[in-house]
Amino acid sequence: MTTQQVVHDDTAHRDPAPAAPTPPPRRHRGLTPGWLPWALLAPALVVVGGLLVYPLLWVFSLSVQDFGLRELREGGFHWTGFDNFAEILTNSTLWQTALPNTVVFAAVCVALTVVVGTLVALLLVRLGPWARGVLTTAIMAAWAMPAVSGTYVWVYVFDTSDGMVMRLLSSLGLADPATTNWFTDRLAFYAIATLNVVHHGFPFVAVTVLAGLLTVPKEVLESAAIDGAGAWRRFWHITYPIMKPIFAVVVVLSTIWDFKVFTQIYLMPGGSGTDRDLLNLGTWSYLEGISQNRFGYGAAVAVVLTLLLLAVTSVYLRTLFKQKEL
Amino acid sequence: MSTLTTTGAAPVTTGRPPKVRKRPATRLAEGLGFAVVLTFSIFPVLVMVSTAFDGRANDGSRALLPSDLSFANFSFVLGEGGFGRYLLNSLAVGLGTVLVSGLLALLAAVAVARFRFRLRTTVLVLVLVVQMVPLEALVIPLFIQVSSLGQLNSLIALMVVYVAFSLPFAIWMLRGFVAAVPPELEEAAYLDGASWPRMFWSVLFPLVGPGLVATSVFSFITAWNEFVFAITFLDDEDKFTVAAGLRQFFTQYGTDWGSVMAGSTLITVPVMIFFIVVQKRLSEGMVAGAVKG
Repeated sequence: MTTQQVVHDDTAHRDPAPAAPTPPPRRHRGLTPGWLPWALLAPALVVVGGLLVYPLLWVFSLSVQDFGLRELREGGFHWTGFDNFAEILTNSTLWQTALPNTVVFAAVCVALTVVVGTLVALLLVRLGPWARGVLTTAIMAAWAMPAVSGTYVWVYVFDTSDGMVMRLLSSLGLADPATTNWFTDRLAFYAIATLNVVHHGFPFVAVTVLAGLLTVPKEVLESAAIDGAGAWRRFWHITYPIMKPIFAVVVVLSTIWDFKVFTQIYLMPGGSGTDRDLLNLGTWSYLEGISQNRFGYGAAVAVVLTLLLLAVTSVYLRTLFKQKEL
Repeated sequence: MSTLTTTGAAPVTTGRPPKVRKRPATRLAEGLGFAVVLTFSIFPVLVMVSTAFDGRANDGSRALLPSDLSFANFSFVLGEGGFGRYLLNSLAVGLGTVLVSGLLALLAAVAVARFRFRLRTTVLVLVLVVQMVPLEALVIPLFIQVSSLGQLNSLIALMVVYVAFSLPFAIWMLRGFVAAVPPELEEAAYLDGASWPRMFWSVLFPLVGPGLVATSVFSFITAWNEFVFAITFLDDEDKFTVAAGLRQFFTQYGTDWGSVMAGSTLITVPVMIFFIVVQKRLSEGMVAGAVKG
């Protein structure tokens, strides 16, 4: 082996990635000691192992224990088998409240986020440079709004006694502030949460899809237009097939994020568990585990959420790989 | 809104067929779409900022623009409200996260980008898996861990957790930037007798600078915005971060909306500036990582 690098292009039979292609990994033989990469990796591995991997294993171990304040103080391990899970699975909170509030909410949020984000990206592509710049900056502002402050603003806007929306509706005679409270009504509560999550999430979709749209060859679209294909057909027959991997990424990531929405629910009036009808799997786990000190039971709810998330994403990924083989 | 006098997205280059002129109806639809998206995007930001600057925010003023322009909410929040303390705490935790996470991620990125060994793919898979795990699920074991170490109310403990959360993504992004640096430069430095640390510091570090900036912004925002772990680990008011501290203005006697919005504005503005500065790189990094996976 010499230190001369022979560049052989191994990216030819792969999808071209927009970033710089990774050069073939090299062994600085004779130049670098063999332990060097491990030494470089060690600190990161220690942190990730100790604070992500180990706690994750611990969640599973806690979920089969009766772990409360006493165990927290004195230690000890009270194995209870699957009692926690039996209790969850026979609990009406799971079937009537937490599961629907998690799954239906996530499905609606993902659908709306992806559709709105894609429409915005299609609009951005058509606009001229000035309008596109202005709109991109506005979208960035929406994206950058922290979940905490964004949630407070929506609560303020929909405030039932004196918020803007209530004032508007009551002046039109459509709602009575004395009898209406949107935050105690499950559907209205989650509708407001959906608005919040879509507003927070569509910029990521728009920016990512826009990056993909710019790689669609314009000549193809133009000649299709000259041949008389409408905008709708052009999108489904030319743009969508090219953009499939990008849509896949956007859908998978949005799904993951929307399944585990916590802060936006927790911070709304009643969302932290004071109103049990509003619990989703994340807030339920937190309520039982941290607020009520039933750590084992809370961990079991977290395990249910994690398994659900893994199931949904693995179905997605399998569908994707299958389509690739076709 | 001014009228849009644009034709199409791409600048016309030679060799392209001339642009089809847009019909007025299309122009109208585009203008309408522009107005709708613009309004939807900035509406909450506008409400937040105008309420923050409204001296009568708590006297039933709910106008879209301040009825009484003043800095009263900000001076209250930063004075009696104790928000200055929260800002300092958040700044310390954020900068600590950026420094530690950036250094560890850079070392790890060099390892995965420059050397051939078994764990390379494992690291990348790990990044994806971490995305899939609800981090809120880790709050229970980490709370037990931190409290048994007697480290509740410690900003250092909070920072260490944030480092772990931001590391996988940081490694993922930096890997691409390190890979783009020609190895010949390092070899030349090596043959000139530079030691490993020196080469790292004077050759690689300056070249991956832009990547480090983008990654740092991401890590900083992760720490700055985080809410769940902040409220779980901290119950001493002196130690609150901004995300946890905002809850102070919700009392059993009612909500001090003027202070909530002033605090929210103080939290949001730095994040927005960072975001708009690095947005291009951030999204490129995300797309690149995602498509490469």
